[in-house]
Amino acid sequence: MEIKMLDLTKIFVSKDKKEVHAVDHVDLTIPSGKLIGLLGPSGCGKSTTLYLIAGLLKQNQGQIFFGEDEVSDMPPEKRGIGLVFQNYALYPHMTVRENILFPLENLKIEKTEAKERTIEMAQLVGLGEMLDRKPKELSGGQQQRVAIARALVKKPRVLLLDEPLSNLDARLRLQTREEIKRIQRETGITTVFVTHDQEEAMSISDEIVVMKDGVIQQMGEPQEVYDFPINMFVAQFLGSPQINIFNGEIKDKKIYANGMMIGKSKLPDQPIKIGIRPEGFIVDKEKQSEFKFEIDLVETIGRDTTLIIEVPGNEGSLLDKLTFKAIVDASEHIKAGDWVHFNIKPDKMHLFNLEGKLLK
Amino acid sequence: MSEVFVKNEKSYKTKKIISNVLVYLFLAAIAITILVPFYWMLLTSVKDAIMIEQTPPLLFIKPSEWKLLNYTSLFDLVQSGPRRGQPLFPFFTYMKNTIVISIITTIGTSITTILAAYAFARLNFKGRDVVFGIIIATMMIPGEIFILTNFLTVNRLGWYDIMNQTYMDAILAMTLPFMTSVFYTFYLRQTFKQIPNELYYAAKVDGTTDFKYLLKVMIPVAMPTIVTIIILNSMGAWSAYIWPAMVTTKDSYRLVSNGLRGAFTDTSTGRTDYGQQMASATLVTLPLLIVFFTFRKQIMRGVSRSGIKG
Amino acid sequence: METKNNLRAWLYLAPMLLLMAVFTFYPLFNAFVISFYKDYLPLANDGAGSITGYTIANYGVIFKNQLFWQSLKNTFVLALVSVPLSIIISLLISVALKSIPKLKGFFQTVFFLPYVTNGIAVGMAFAVMFHRDYGLFNLVLSWFGITALDWIGGTASWWAQMGALMIFTIWESLAFKILVFTSGLQNIDKQYYDAAKIDHATKWTIFKRITVPLLSPLILYISITSMIGALKAYNSVIGLFGERLGAQPYSMITIVAFVYKYRSDFSFQGFYSYAASAAIILFFITLLFSVIQTVVSKKRIHY
Repeated sequence: MEIKMLDLTKIFVSKDKKEVHAVDHVDLTIPSGKLIGLLGPSGCGKSTTLYLIAGLLKQNQGQIFFGEDEVSDMPPEKRGIGLVFQNYALYPHMTVRENILFPLENLKIEKTEAKERTIEMAQLVGLGEMLDRKPKELSGGQQQRVAIARALVKKPRVLLLDEPLSNLDARLRLQTREEIKRIQRETGITTVFVTHDQEEAMSISDEIVVMKDGVIQQMGEPQEVYDFPINMFVAQFLGSPQINIFNGEIKDKKIYANGMMIGKSKLPDQPIKIGIRPEGFIVDKEKQSEFKFEIDLVETIGRDTTLIIEVPGNEGSLLDKLTFKAIVDASEHIKAGDWVHFNIKPDKMHLFNLEGKLLK
Repeated sequence: MSEVFVKNEKSYKTKKIISNVLVYLFLAAIAITILVPFYWMLLTSVKDAIMIEQTPPLLFIKPSEWKLLNYTSLFDLVQSGPRRGQPLFPFFTYMKNTIVISIITTIGTSITTILAAYAFARLNFKGRDVVFGIIIATMMIPGEIFILTNFLTVNRLGWYDIMNQTYMDAILAMTLPFMTSVFYTFYLRQTFKQIPNELYYAAKVDGTTDFKYLLKVMIPVAMPTIVTIIILNSMGAWSAYIWPAMVTTKDSYRLVSNGLRGAFTDTSTGRTDYGQQMASATLVTLPLLIVFFTFRKQIMRGVSRSGIKG
Repeated sequence: METKNNLRAWLYLAPMLLLMAVFTFYPLFNAFVISFYKDYLPLANDGAGSITGYTIANYGVIFKNQLFWQSLKNTFVLALVSVPLSIIISLLISVALKSIPKLKGFFQTVFFLPYVTNGIAVGMAFAVMFHRDYGLFNLVLSWFGITALDWIGGTASWWAQMGALMIFTIWESLAFKILVFTSGLQNIDKQYYDAAKIDHATKWTIFKRITVPLLSPLILYISITSMIGALKAYNSVIGLFGERLGAQPYSMITIVAFVYKYRSDFSFQGFYSYAASAAIILFFITLLFSVIQTVVSKKRIHY
């Protein structure tokens, strides 16, 4: 089921009567049968968007369609959605079985069928043995899976997950995100999940939607968005370690970072911001490159070495921050104190104007 | 796969508005039900004898046509009988007694409950939990059982002398048994327990005595709860009925509730003067409402918390 | 140090424990003793009292007393009907209160008024409203074409009187329950309601399957305390019917009223012991109700 949002706007009024546009004229189409990650820093409007799709919040303006149906004014119970809450919101007084059965009872599904589907769903999420336990007798990961089963058992049109992994420890998080991916594949249901963790979103989503200040920045397949960020915010938000942003300029078809030539461009002369991914640095063994630094710190993990380079920070300097990072092959054997010359991989370098827009 | 969606046929907005209107209508109906007895009390008190016996009853009287005779006649002196020379409804005597009793019991209750709650909340001693459990269990016992013996105790203490009971005797008899409250002890203990232990240990390290700590830290911090207890306890004297009637020998020692019932029924004809009765009821209700609206927040917060925690 | 601490603690407790020893624990124990006295005259011998021995016959006497059975019947009917009804009504009101966006504070304040008023004063106002000829209740009934009913007058039937007493009792007892349930509801996580909406629950299902179970510990507490309260009904009867305790003398007598009636006749040999026996029976009835409610609810409260 495709989800379409047209000009969707949600305004919150704070206590001092200030209006906050949590979701600001959003136009978004979520393709049928895909797993979509809604991604952004906290307060960017991603959870609000999810709650608007669910109908738990009411938009101030705009429309929502599920396929051909307009659901804009529909109460949540009529929309045919499954929602997994951040804290799962399992009914504490009901057993796992009763929790999963609850939506089916409300939909007046015939009893034997409802029971069968409950068991089937419990098995799908791997909780066949736990049906008669109470939520508080389950681990966080198990509770999470009950919540997914409860959301899916009624065969909803869309599945919504609100920060589904944020309450789990690191190990369970990895395991559970594979689980979500598997369940989504097996059921083929259109799924939207909200997260602030870019790695999580990148690893399981078919497509990601990056939001900031209630506005959608970019949508696309994770790798595509990573490789072709539309602006500096997206470039900075995706990727770990974060992309390095240098102050620079284009002059005579050449790209300079604080006076050091690092590449070529056909763009007209102008001051620019240069984004270079940490993996975009190549050690220039011939020491021809002008782009050279003294290494302050070296961290080697496995086959990668992270070089940390400190830059004196003052007005008009190379960086707005104090340090930048470069990841190079461990076989380079670089030590702290070495001077290293870098070449830059052109496809790992993104040029932005001073407002942060990508220059093409 | 999808089977649960419903077509967007009805206007959900209209449905929502209708259900909201119904809820408000329901609540308004309940509110009227709650308010009507107060209204009827006031209304009847400003009717004259003819209006009162009118059928169907008058539902509204313009303030300009209110009859205040019922109120003024409450203070007329009784011409004959045992209460000769006293006002028909000695409101001010009753008020004075009620206020005196309420102040004394409130002071007593505050002191005993604060001390006990402190011991239960903060001090470690052998048998604490057992004693606390026993005390709490008494809340489940109907207090009426105690009254039988308490009456005898008061009598033995010499406070119930049918011939020569003094005002002092009556006050002692009415207050002493109510100088403590298990319920408030429990309630206050909960508040005390929320005050972090570190404060206590810090005070101990500074060489503060327990009593000084109670006075300087616990009581000020728990003041909102204590104020609530003081208000609720003071209001208790207004509804005390059976005990004051039991241990006092003279009408002039009694409390407002005692004066209300029976005073306006003519014993020879059995007819009740509803106008005067409602006038006195209004007089008794009014101070309570004034107290309530003055301390509305404290009272409602206190009662709701005590209910939850209990 | 340890003993010093102990001593200090008992010092803090002393005022309360002393008062309770004299006015709570001793009377509780003594009530049992009095109920077994033979020919007890409490104020004889300058207040020392006189007895001629011990007997269990006092219980026999009150069990043969028609008035005692009347008081049991009245008390039970009143408690068993008014307590569940007032709990259900106050729950519905609290849920309705929770759902409205505006005027919440206003309604809460109005609903709380009965709690802070004098029961006897308002009881008298109800008595006027229940008057057959010029009362409000019959006027309202007449709007629906129902003929005037004698609620509390000399010709009132037992059911009419009981109905009047119940209406007044429920009116009085709603305030506390609404306030407590309202704050109980506030403590329920809003997510459960959101989840239930997503799970297609209707308002009624949410009330039945989410609200009531999540509130059940509080409902149990309230039902036990109000049951104890209802079993001690007395002031409401006085307010509504006066010292006659009914439209006909004693027709609305309750167990507590029975205790007080025999207590006030202390100059008759043995009457004080009858009062004590009735009080002891009330004690056990209260205990029984509390235990039954706890046991029954234990099976139904799973959390």
